[in-house]
Amino acid sequence: MHNASKHLLFILAPLVVVFALLPGVYQNHLLLFNFVIFLILAQGVNIIYGFTGYLPFGYVGFFGAGAYGFAIMVMHLQTPAPLAVLVGGAVAVVLGLLLTPLLRLSGAYFAIANLAASLAVLHFVANPALEGITKGPYGVSLTGTFNPTHAYYAAVVVMALTVGAVVYLKNSPFGLALQAVREDAVSASMAGVNIIKMRVIAWLASALVAGLAGGIYAWYVSVFYPDNVFSGEFSIFAIVFALFGGVATITGPIVGVLILYGIYNLIGFTTPQYFQLIYGLLIMGLVLFLPAGLVSLATRRGWHVP
Amino acid sequence: MTYALVAGVLFGLYFSLVGIGLNLVFGVMRIVNLAHGDILMLGAFIALGVVGIAGIDPLFAVPLAFMVFVLAGVLLYWVLVPRLQGSANPEMLSIILFFGLSQVIEAVTTIFAGTSERSIQSRLLGTVFSTIKVKLFGGKPGGAGPIQIFGQGFPAPWVIAAITSLIAIGLVYLYLYHTRLGTLTRAVMSRRDEALATGIDVDRVSAAAFGIGLGIAAVAGVFAPFMFGSVTPAFGADATVTSFAIVVLGSLGNPLGTALGGVVYGLCYMLVQTYLSSWADLLPYVLLIVILLLRPSGLLGRRVRVA
Amino acid sequence: MSPEKAPILEVSKLVKRFGGFHALDGLSFHVVPGEILGLVGPNGSGKTTAINVISGLYAPDGGEVVFDNVSSGGIASHKLVHRGINRTFQVPKPFLSLSVRENIQVALAYGGATDAPSIAELLEEYRLKEVADRPAADLNSAQQKMLDLTRALATRPRLLLLDELAAGLNPAELDWIAGRIKALAATGMAIIVVEHLMGFIEQITDRVIVLNAGKEIFEGTLATAVREPQVIEVFLGGEHAH
Repeated sequence: MHNASKHLLFILAPLVVVFALLPGVYQNHLLLFNFVIFLILAQGVNIIYGFTGYLPFGYVGFFGAGAYGFAIMVMHLQTPAPLAVLVGGAVAVVLGLLLTPLLRLSGAYFAIANLAASLAVLHFVANPALEGITKGPYGVSLTGTFNPTHAYYAAVVVMALTVGAVVYLKNSPFGLALQAVREDAVSASMAGVNIIKMRVIAWLASALVAGLAGGIYAWYVSVFYPDNVFSGEFSIFAIVFALFGGVATITGPIVGVLILYGIYNLIGFTTPQYFQLIYGLLIMGLVLFLPAGLVSLATRRGWHVP
Repeated sequence: MTYALVAGVLFGLYFSLVGIGLNLVFGVMRIVNLAHGDILMLGAFIALGVVGIAGIDPLFAVPLAFMVFVLAGVLLYWVLVPRLQGSANPEMLSIILFFGLSQVIEAVTTIFAGTSERSIQSRLLGTVFSTIKVKLFGGKPGGAGPIQIFGQGFPAPWVIAAITSLIAIGLVYLYLYHTRLGTLTRAVMSRRDEALATGIDVDRVSAAAFGIGLGIAAVAGVFAPFMFGSVTPAFGADATVTSFAIVVLGSLGNPLGTALGGVVYGLCYMLVQTYLSSWADLLPYVLLIVILLLRPSGLLGRRVRVA
Repeated sequence: MSPEKAPILEVSKLVKRFGGFHALDGLSFHVVPGEILGLVGPNGSGKTTAINVISGLYAPDGGEVVFDNVSSGGIASHKLVHRGINRTFQVPKPFLSLSVRENIQVALAYGGATDAPSIAELLEEYRLKEVADRPAADLNSAQQKMLDLTRALATRPRLLLLDELAAGLNPAELDWIAGRIKALAATGMAIIVVEHLMGFIEQITDRVIVLNAGKEIFEGTLATAVREPQVIEVFLGGEHAH
């Protein structure tokens, strides 16, 4: 069987089936929803960081833009929720297009500029001067579209598309070329690869999935403030989950989310500062002792990890 | 207008102090210290401790904070950095590593100090000077009042912070250009690989730079309660982004460029506060992005950062 | 070199400045299909800069590069690759985390060659078969040079620029690669070779151009070049003048 079909059958299909069925047997739907959202975001980070090497430290900017794209459509134009989610994705892509000049920056410069960009978008959206459009810092309430069940399944669909995209990258010359650009842009251009086009496509794809996730998140929670949907934790968690599992693989980010977000929920909510301490130490340990992620434990032994 | 300009320069000098340690660390090690703001926050807590426990002028916290964090920096360097440098992509991973460290610092501070805002009465800063003045020249004891510059009154802590910053920047200059270790530091900054090849003890140079970088950050932190009104354990994250804006403005990898970056930043900050206050929050981020894109090497500096 | 063949590459009055330094200062030359042209000259004479401009890494500051009757100065590298120019690097930078096979696959998929050679052929011909599924990071420097060359050949260039391909190879490998380069030229490929090893240059080139300070100071065979006082002056510098 072709590798891509194997990956779709043995990784993507079970993941979708499990998350489609779990709400029937497990009561904490919000938790399941958050898992799906983080699976999308971690794979989105995988697309841009794993395959092209740009660390999106302000990744949440796209998520928040998607959430506000959704909210503005619903508040001002009474758009049906699924359409508003698509608009959320489109808003994130437009933001991504505006930020394409950042791709000229490399390494830490890109990461920092991206972080600054996400904070700029937050302060822009939260500005009281824009209260008429975004409700400024006072938050939005979208009770009209409130439907967590539909939102949940929409999230599963977007997750399936995102993981599908990563399966494609892992099994196509396009994905290889992206990695070639990451490894050495000059050599890649001398292999005939249009490096600017490749980077922009990967960047916009990762923006799109985060925007869709943000729109669905807004649909699901229906009441939120700028600080919620632009919280730096989304960026950090998505990056740490993806890294913990191992980027530039299909399974790494999935394993990362399932394990780390699982731990988070076991120890997380009671005493936030102890949690923050454990989390910080975990991140440090990860970078120092397992910089290539959990999957490197297997690849070091010569096993192939999809 | 004069007020905004003078205040901008005072704040700007202070901002230089805030950023210079971050830049030293990046310049020498290519390490992005995302815990920089948290070191500032800890410096502020040292000042709070000096006032709260000893009840003396918070200026005494300056040498204390510096020494404590030079030591802490050197220790931390040996624990974290050699292992990090051995990995495939140290610059990228450093961002994540030091983010983890900042989480740890913030969490530990919260566990011990709670999340409430803390401040120090600004008249306490500089009491050591007025006490000396009283001893030598007589007069009324008490806190320092506003200081007159160009006919306008400015809070004494702003002026004291600006003067301390000037002194600190001068000392960094002396270190880099007039000591042996400083010369080696500049060699490592310009060509790390060649420095290694010529047998410079890069680890020793880097450890010193890391310690000094953290020490200066802590000194800047001592003044944070006066410059920003109050501090909380969560203050660190914002301080880090602001520091980056300042450093990038000057030129990443050129510590003395930071002095210029700080002043430019301070002036922009005060002018926006005065004339466009509702958009002032956006300033550091927009400035950071615009500078990175238009003048990728900072206002001073080499072209190093284009992909 | 047969005079009736039209040049595939014509470089005229090429200028490239870095700050105030003229790396290329009015360089003109041409190369015809099937010819192997050597570019020689002391360090800093502009050889690698010439290759970088011709392969689109730098835009020229003056003059013209005409490839296959179309002006190509300042056009993006990947487009020049599609038109039929490729090169190797003095210090090869393969895609380290990808396997040798995947390295070549990228060039095959994106190089735009319609009649590209097969991977098996390239692996076999350039002695990379044994390491085909290892990450490029595991290769030694000679193997990395061969991988760099296969990356270029996978795009089926009509003009191939070799920047110090021979440096670091042992004598047996040198003979072997000289034979390969001649065989490529025999298929009609135009090849420009930048090299410090004069023996190697003599063995493979039809003609050399001697560069100094970004200008051509001699054109002809290497055998005549070494008797030219101006060339000796440049290579031996001050010592000869006294």
